[in-house]
Amino acid sequence: MVAPAPQGVTSPAARPARPRRARRPQWAWRPRRARPGAPALLLLPFFVLFTVCTLIPIGNAVYLSLYREERSGLGFGGVERVFAGLGNYASALEDSAFRDGFLNLALYCLLYIPLMTGFSLLLALLLDSALARAKRFFQLALFLPHAVPGIIAALIWMYLYTPGVSPVIGALDAAGLQADVLGAPVPAVVNIALWEWTGYNLIIFFAALQAIPREVLEASVVDGAGPLRTALSIKVPLIRPSLAMVGLFTVIGSLQLFTEPMILHGAAPGVVTTWTPNMYAYTAAFERNDYGLAAAASVLLALAAAALSFLVTRFSGGRSTEAKGTEA
Amino acid sequence: MSSSSFSRLRASLSDHPGGVGSGTHICGVVVGCQCSAVAPSSALQLHAPDPTQADRDAPSTGSGLIRKKGPNRAWSSGFVAAATALSLATLSACGAGDGADASGQDGPVTITFWGWAKGTKEVVDAFNADQSDVRVKFQEIPSGNAGGYAKISNAVKAGNAPDLYNVEYPQLPDFVSRGAVQDISKYVSADVRSKYLPQAMRLTSLGGATWALPQDVAPQAFYYRKDIFKKAGITSPPKTWDEFRADAEKVKKADPKARIATFFPDDPNTFEAMAWQAGAQWFKTEGETWKVGFQDKATRQAAGYWQKMVDDDLIHVMPSFSQQWTASLQKGETAGYLGASWGAGVLDGTLPDQGGKWAAAPIPTTGGTAASGMLGGTTFAVSKDSEKAEAAVKFAEWATTTEAGIKARIASGTSSAYPAAPELVPVAQRAFKSALFGEQDVYGLYKDATGTIKPDWSWGPVMGTTNNSLKDSFAKAGSGGDDIMAAVREAEAATKKELGNRGIKVTD
Repeated sequence: MVAPAPQGVTSPAARPARPRRARRPQWAWRPRRARPGAPALLLLPFFVLFTVCTLIPIGNAVYLSLYREERSGLGFGGVERVFAGLGNYASALEDSAFRDGFLNLALYCLLYIPLMTGFSLLLALLLDSALARAKRFFQLALFLPHAVPGIIAALIWMYLYTPGVSPVIGALDAAGLQADVLGAPVPAVVNIALWEWTGYNLIIFFAALQAIPREVLEASVVDGAGPLRTALSIKVPLIRPSLAMVGLFTVIGSLQLFTEPMILHGAAPGVVTTWTPNMYAYTAAFERNDYGLAAAASVLLALAAAALSFLVTRFSGGRSTEAKGTEA
Repeated sequence: MSSSSFSRLRASLSDHPGGVGSGTHICGVVVGCQCSAVAPSSALQLHAPDPTQADRDAPSTGSGLIRKKGPNRAWSSGFVAAATALSLATLSACGAGDGADASGQDGPVTITFWGWAKGTKEVVDAFNADQSDVRVKFQEIPSGNAGGYAKISNAVKAGNAPDLYNVEYPQLPDFVSRGAVQDISKYVSADVRSKYLPQAMRLTSLGGATWALPQDVAPQAFYYRKDIFKKAGITSPPKTWDEFRADAEKVKKADPKARIATFFPDDPNTFEAMAWQAGAQWFKTEGETWKVGFQDKATRQAAGYWQKMVDDDLIHVMPSFSQQWTASLQKGETAGYLGASWGAGVLDGTLPDQGGKWAAAPIPTTGGTAASGMLGGTTFAVSKDSEKAEAAVKFAEWATTTEAGIKARIASGTSSAYPAAPELVPVAQRAFKSALFGEQDVYGLYKDATGTIKPDWSWGPVMGTTNNSLKDSFAKAGSGGDDIMAAVREAEAATKKELGNRGIKVTD
């Protein structure tokens, strides 16, 4: 993300890795240039698949979003495609259910992103600390939930949330605690996502922590920093790019929230069929059979995702360059 | 709700509307799923370690691979080739769908059929064994509202729909209106037409054409646990809704955890059947215009009644056919089920250990005079682009109007569908065996109830939208936020708006 920038080199220990990493591709590129056919050939499959699987569907979605289907009379006489301009976009934006979806998403993000990042970072720092025992075991154990496919995780959690079926709710009930988990969909979904993704992001943070040059850490010890100080002032700032990356992917991933609430919908009618924008698009297409509206909602969601990722990249990118300055 | 939504009981992965296949269709539009977006880039991050890492944490096999040019190249081009081959294989696998074997002129005509109603496989097998002109290839799909309709719609849109599929009465006009169904009038003779119950035929004939063949008629029925009722001091099943309420109080009094039945917030069809029974008519046609009104006296009355049952905690509020509902039935905390004819088969399959404990009764009414709405009921529809409509209709006709067809379904032991062809009711009656209901003649009861189905109800052409709206607002009604009538009003507004969107004329 910030590869070619570091001119004001100050911390000798932190530096050597970066210019080398930036230079390596250039050096590797040169011999290939002699045979221009090879890269093109190797890139071809990507561009073919990218076109077939991404560009064409997006194009098709945009096209669909500009049309609507019209009938006449009682509606049994056949369907006519009519150009609707931005009509579908207007109806999506007008629909309070669609806007509520974004609201739910915002609540979800507000709760989920800090919790998930916090947990992952905390656990990664604990694993990385000199005191940790059985690191491999914990790495694996913490990662394991992520190995469970999201849809299965959601089904398992649905079972655990459902009163009358769940042993957990049953136990709470027996203890005199009435827990209506399904009545509060946002925390219920956040909990599933946390369970699924904390271990995964923990591994990313842990790998980044492992890559911190030993000299820096030694220097901090020599300077008298305790483990906590080292973690907060040395480790966390140094893995900021990883934090930014996790933030970016989490934001995009969150915008696409679909599987977990869709599964929960079966047990909790409170998770309405338009609970997230993605569910809104699904419902519009497959329950209301309005493909134009569904396409418009999807395009709007994609735009929101693009805008948000731009902001996150911008924001975190700026922060990490700044951080470099202050480290000095 | 289907005549066989029980397949939702077995909500397996592929069954669910959130199933991977259907979900990704939309996701594809957006930047990419979380998993696929994260994996490659983070792999890059992980596999490009700083050299300094080597002396900190030993295993540096990754960097070794990257440095050595030779093996790396070979590895990556091999990988790309493999990946490409794999993707192309996947793509071509997607392309070749059904309908490929269309041109079997000499042999039997092969048609494809999607459905979910219980006993369908047995019917198809019997048909294939019975004659050699038409071969039916049957694929079981999730029940309509549990993802089946989404699957069919998708296939129709993509041009690879099966020749024949099941649609329930409420959804049929919607399917017709969006051009997913073929007009089969010319394949259905007057003779065949006359075999079906007129009410059923009326619901499959829209705008002067015949669009589907009815499989079953679904009069309402009330199923209850005899033992729980007895313990609560209820001697005979309720005849009126007032008695039903009184009995509900008794059931709750006898066991504070038990309730007489369940309000399904996710299932508008049950409520619609109540409104239908009370004499409501949400959709009427006047010439070329739809007259839409959900707020008549009958609907208001039904809404008020159920609202009060929910508010006074006299009835459970649980999703239909959910694990929660099933568990509550199994524990004896739900003493009854307000369903339809096909419900006996569902209960029988769900509650294997409650043999002999259940009984069926006519659905209670407001004034005491027997009356019924219809809750679900399935039809056979031929998809728009099928070139084998005649063969498809032949099978549908066989399945719904012949003794062998009905017998195969009911003898499967899983279905209590009430045939839409009245002549064949005795066949079903003889074939039906249920451990749950013992010796009770449930078909006799359905027969009487069928005679009392109010004849004037029609389904609207945008039931997808109507039901979706009801479902989402009922969820709020269940949790005490809004009331049922508000949900009905909202659904009416949504329906009218949608009709307008589609260019269909509508008045109040």
